[in-house]
Amino acid sequence: MNTIILSEVSVRVAVDGAPAPKTLLQDVSLELTEQRIAVIGANGSGKSTLLRLLNGLVAPSEGTVSVNGADSTRDVRRVRSKVGFVFTDPLSQLVMPTGREDVELSLRRSIKNSTERRARAEAVLERFGLLDLADQSIYELSGGERQLLALAAVLAVNPAVLVLDEPSTLLDLRNRELLRRTLAGLEQQIIMSTHDLGLALEADRALVVDDGRIVFDGGPADAVEHYRALCAAEPAQGAR
Amino acid sequence: MRRHGVLIPNYVPGDSIVHRTPLWLKFLLVAACGLASFLVVDWMVSAAVLAVMCGLFLLTGAGVERLARSVWLVTPILAAIGAVQWWQLGGPTAARIVLNVLVCVVAAAVLTVTTPVQALLDGVVALSRPFKRLGADPERFALTIAIMLRSLPFIAGAFSDVRDSARARGLERNPRALVLPVFITTVAYARQTGDALAARGLGEPAD
Amino acid sequence: MSSTETASSRQTPNRARWTSTDIGLIAVFAALVAASTQIPGIPVGALGVPITLQTLAVILTGLVLGGGRAFAAVGLYTLLGFAGLPIFSGGRSGLGILATPSAGYIIAFPLAAAASGWLAAIVIRRTVKYRALFLFAAAMASTIVIIHGLGVLGFMVNAKFDFTKAFLADLPYYPGDTIKNVLAAIIAVSLHKAFPDILVRRVK
Repeated sequence: MNTIILSEVSVRVAVDGAPAPKTLLQDVSLELTEQRIAVIGANGSGKSTLLRLLNGLVAPSEGTVSVNGADSTRDVRRVRSKVGFVFTDPLSQLVMPTGREDVELSLRRSIKNSTERRARAEAVLERFGLLDLADQSIYELSGGERQLLALAAVLAVNPAVLVLDEPSTLLDLRNRELLRRTLAGLEQQIIMSTHDLGLALEADRALVVDDGRIVFDGGPADAVEHYRALCAAEPAQGAR
Repeated sequence: MRRHGVLIPNYVPGDSIVHRTPLWLKFLLVAACGLASFLVVDWMVSAAVLAVMCGLFLLTGAGVERLARSVWLVTPILAAIGAVQWWQLGGPTAARIVLNVLVCVVAAAVLTVTTPVQALLDGVVALSRPFKRLGADPERFALTIAIMLRSLPFIAGAFSDVRDSARARGLERNPRALVLPVFITTVAYARQTGDALAARGLGEPAD
Repeated sequence: MSSTETASSRQTPNRARWTSTDIGLIAVFAALVAASTQIPGIPVGALGVPITLQTLAVILTGLVLGGGRAFAAVGLYTLLGFAGLPIFSGGRSGLGILATPSAGYIIAFPLAAAASGWLAAIVIRRTVKYRALFLFAAAMASTIVIIHGLGVLGFMVNAKFDFTKAFLADLPYYPGDTIKNVLAAIIAVSLHKAFPDILVRRVK
């Protein structure tokens, strides 16, 4: 089991021309041990920042983040080898022109022998049913296939935790279903932000983020209820 | 983002003799073509070399269409250069210059079409290993090259989008408004790529 | 994309070790310089060294990335061109370009990117007002001293021109380069606004 601990974390960024830095996340303390955790909240609420903290893509301005005892700033390499990260847009994540090459790239660090690397990449692609598409240009794949490929490339190095930032936002209904089934079959701990409330309801625990704070933490049904009430009480304000 | 006229075509799996030729030999061929284009003075020799290169390309089984596509992108430039050279220096010289450029383009295409990127990376890593003592990091160097090659079509696409949108809006008076989106997109894309690498634990300096 | 500061960038306050973000920027700007040569250039003068957007891309790389990373980006571009990728202006490639009148310009590009980048870092750190003007000055200084300096030298060595003739051969590039530097400075200011931490990493 994994233990991710955020203690009194705040994230601020400097804004050009503004006198004070902007706060993206304020005083967040969490202990994440559940297998399936959903993070919900409006656009710009701080969801992405929260997720990015978990594998060291964002450093806390105050407080600490640790994954199984490894600190996310001091020990960022260890943290990243444990925490796989999947972005919303697979095209921003896939760095090689074909699926095979992208998965092999993931493996370059851990497997030096090229024959062995090739074999392992094939096994990973096979597992996700992507072997037939392995040599196609990533631009010729469907959105769902691309997202699966991004997932496969991240899982190739076998992380203990999988963080997904709105993985289904760009997908149609059928591909969402495919992604949902694939995720359900994984043994990794999964922490995922989503606008798909149906997906959130399947989690073991759900966090609601609003304006840089965790405003609800608990069962997914109550979380979704809370989020709905929040959205109803406060009409969208545009640039927040 | 869409795929754009590919100057350097991607790997096409195959089992031709060119595929089986060792990487260093193919690399030498490309380098030799680059050098030869400045030594050859007769346009007929250039034409012959170009014919050989095209033959090699077709031998790989990548097809005429890919060959045409990789050459197509340089045609506007070549047409301009060719025309000016013709006017300034006469037909044979113009032909030689244009043919020599085509030789380089096709030679590079022969290399990339028969070599998977991973193999190219391994080649670069092997080549740059001697520089390790000087503080070089072959893996990161190879990764940077791979990212650059991967970014070329994207950036070329961004440039041509600008041309399209300028056409759509009618000629934009303000050059800043015209070209700025290309560079904003470019930097954002670079950042995204950097984030994607970082998230996957790639490209960080070795401890 | 978010403008949050990455953990990696905070760990390396100087350019001592490049992070993944730096690798991304270096690679993409190298591609930018390469792509800029694919837009048809206009060959100038009897020797047909073409005017392209290339100098704009080279100087902009400097103004945006700063000396070290700009040198790496443009250096990588040059290296791959030498290695045979058809990315020099007019689709040329190979070491043979060193024997042509263009040689001076090719060698000058990484150095000019480094110089303009080094100057730009000072400008961004020290000034808020009139940045475009200062960046233009940095670009112009690098262009005149390095690109035109080595360009003239290239004509003298490889085309066996005397200084006057080489100077005259190089002269047609001045108006275009000046316009391109104005553009580069204006674009650079906008990019620094859009990505405030791209060159100078801030401490909160």
